Amino acid sequence: MGVDVIFKIAAVGILTAVVGQVLKHSGKEEISTLTTLAGLIIALLMVLNLITTLFDTVKGLFNF
Amino acid sequence: MELFKILGIGLITCIAGLIVRQVKPDVASIIMIAGGVVILLMVVDYVAQIFDVFKVVMDKTGLSSSLFSIVLKIVGVGYLTEFAANICADTGSNSLAEKILFAGKIIILFMSLPIVTNIVEIVVGLL
Repeated sequence: MGVDVIFKIAAVGILTAVVGQVLKHSGKEEISTLTTLAGLIIALLMVLNLITTLFDTVKGLFNF
Repeated sequence: MELFKILGIGLITCIAGLIVRQVKPDVASIIMIAGGVVILLMVVDYVAQIFDVFKVVMDKTGLSSSLFSIVLKIVGVGYLTEFAANICADTGSNSLAEKILFAGKIIILFMSLPIVTNIVEIVVGLL
């Protein structure tokens, strides 16, 4: 729990950018926008997962 | 000691955010949020131990434990509101951050009403 999540999200970000560029230069414009969107959503889901764990721990800790 | 791990994670998040900001600025702010959450998660265990000690001290004073749980909740509300407000400020929407802080203050005020009424009753009883 910790550094690997950050590296994973960074990797997803960089990969989406690269794939987006490759697709854009190979002429497939609409697919590249879709892949960039998909990459962003994957990163968001990862962070969402982290935030839910944080909220659950805090809820348990401060007995909300 | 956890401290060096926390500092390391903070630095790594900043650097990762910097690198990704050139390529994809939106994912960079996501990385900042993730780093913040990881650091908070590491500190949460210390907060748990602190509250256990407070509970022991609170039981000794004989005060009703409901007061202590209200204080606990208020600290939790402050903890989360500040976390969310800083995320909004980071991603650039400062007005939203101010609104979240304002809402958090209102909730804290609302939660502390029973304590205030408690004090008023005690004072009235004294007179």
